[in-house]
Amino acid sequence: MEDRMAKIDLSEISHTYNPLDSKPTYALNPFSMTWENGKRYAILGPSGCGKTTMLNIVSGLVRPSKGEILFDDNPVTDLKTEDRNIAQVFQFPVIYNTMTVYDNLAFPLRCREFTKEKIEERVKAVSDTLNLSSFLSSPARKLTADQKQLISLGRGLVREDVAAVLMDEPLTVIDPDLKFRLRRNLKEINEQYKTTLVYVTHDQNEAMTFAENIIVMDQGEIVQVGLPKDLFERPKTTFVGYFIGSPAMNLFDSEVLTDFEVKVESIKIKTNSNLSKLKDKKVKLGVRSEFIDIAENEGENTFKARVNRVEDFGNFKLITANIGSKVIKSKIEREKPVTEGQVNLYIPPEKCCVYVDDKLI
Amino acid sequence: MNFKHKFVFLFPGLFVLIGILIFPIIFTIRLSLSGWNSYTPEMNFIGITNYIRLFTDDPRFWESFFRLSFLSVTTVVLQYIIGFALAMMVWRDIKFKRFFRVIFLIPMMTTPVIMTVIWRTFFHESLGPVNDLLGGLGVKPILWLSDPVIAKFTVIIVEVWQWTPFMFLLLLAGLLSLPKEPFLAAAIDGASPFRKFVYVTFPLMAPISIGAIIIRLIEASKIMDTVFVLTSGGPGTATETSSFYIYIKGLREFQMGYAATLSFTYLVIMIISLTIIAKVLTKLMIKE
Repeated sequence: MEDRMAKIDLSEISHTYNPLDSKPTYALNPFSMTWENGKRYAILGPSGCGKTTMLNIVSGLVRPSKGEILFDDNPVTDLKTEDRNIAQVFQFPVIYNTMTVYDNLAFPLRCREFTKEKIEERVKAVSDTLNLSSFLSSPARKLTADQKQLISLGRGLVREDVAAVLMDEPLTVIDPDLKFRLRRNLKEINEQYKTTLVYVTHDQNEAMTFAENIIVMDQGEIVQVGLPKDLFERPKTTFVGYFIGSPAMNLFDSEVLTDFEVKVESIKIKTNSNLSKLKDKKVKLGVRSEFIDIAENEGENTFKARVNRVEDFGNFKLITANIGSKVIKSKIEREKPVTEGQVNLYIPPEKCCVYVDDKLI
Repeated sequence: MNFKHKFVFLFPGLFVLIGILIFPIIFTIRLSLSGWNSYTPEMNFIGITNYIRLFTDDPRFWESFFRLSFLSVTTVVLQYIIGFALAMMVWRDIKFKRFFRVIFLIPMMTTPVIMTVIWRTFFHESLGPVNDLLGGLGVKPILWLSDPVIAKFTVIIVEVWQWTPFMFLLLLAGLLSLPKEPFLAAAIDGASPFRKFVYVTFPLMAPISIGAIIIRLIEASKIMDTVFVLTSGGPGTATETSSFYIYIKGLREFQMGYAATLSFTYLVIMIISLTIIAKVLTKLMIKE
């Protein structure tokens, strides 16, 4: 299966749906990116941020207004979808209603005029991986929504030459527990076939559990590319901090006091960021609620907060508290006692992110 | 709340329904059991004499019925094929898309009777331009309206011309309402245009097709004006259809009782056969 791999380069790509207007609005602002062989990528972002446009540009359903796409250094920008060796799975399952499951899976190979033996071998291999073997002779329309979605996926996987399988929110129609199993299936497929998988979603959990690399997008802009851990601990922009994680990152307007200190309300917080060039500037301090803990004694980076609400989520408690006019949220262990009224909260300096103009420094 | 009031609101609808549907049917049934004709114009009761006459002694009615079946099925099939082809043509982005869409609809906007008069002039054996043109190509004059077999096809040509636009309109609306994803998926799978049509477009269009075909079959089975103007059922009875025959019996020969028998029998046959056709089409086209 070595030859099914391909590196995908997106070079200076940008796209607008109204290129003839005097001031075209860009669905995708110029960007460059490389998708490496056999990796799992997730494109994450709110609705309308350009995720699907990006996917359709790669698959060839949309031609980018500017820029070039290269598969293994060969330009494919002008190639039609069918000539691109790409597979795409849509939000809702697309199957050929009049065919059996077998014929559905064999269809892309038949269109490419493979031999009967080869088709049989490939369909068998793919249907085994996807647990569809026992349905091969049933009419595809009789299957359940998730099985139909597996067929859509299978049609992408039967072709050995696909450069990547692109998935546009493919698990929307699937039950939550099945979602989990299918995501694991996808991971296995990726490991077994070394197919590059690109997965579009607006669900951070889906992205985090599925992908090795997450591409976070907002308003046609790629705001951060990285591992789930990076996105969680060091969000590059306040948007990423806000969008990823539940609850969203705590963000406070603050002033720079000294080289490593900021002031939130009247509280001094020490950070690990060097702020020497930002004296007296307005910045934002971001801390994940997961990193804010209850402190028993007063000390550095510890401050008093007035408890507003304590919610028990079963595996953790979420404290919503006030410092002055600002709201702070903290996730703490379930067993920890929370006193009514006031608590001492502690923010570890190494977990502080400081943002200038909404960008991490 | 007094529910008796609801009848006040239902009454207008019921009144219209009874007046234009139920009463005429019951009246026709009663009329069919009478011997009302120009000699004895009265609602006497002669039992099922008319029905016995229809089933034992009137081959002309049955011939006209089978002729009608042939004409309507042939015209509707042709309309479906041509209409589908035209709709496919202007479905996707082509130049002058709007222009073509309007052009294809023109026949439907014309008055059928007047267009049939024009067609009759076209097909006139000695004076019409069609034979003139064919003569220029060295073809002998064709008896468009006076040959029993060719006359049927002339009727078909005119009917197809007149009503294909309607089929086109329904099918185009259907095509435009189809989801995009199946076509994108087929493109990704590398399907040729032929495969796309067979496995994607046609199955997706099946429900709309059935609706369109049934509507057109119902319409086509009433075929009357074209035959009346073009051939008057001739030569002989070669293009006579059921409705035309019933018209002759009732409004030319004034055998009202017998014409009512024909009408009612025709209605029953049509209801049964169209129901069967709809079921069969659904079975064939939508495999659920």
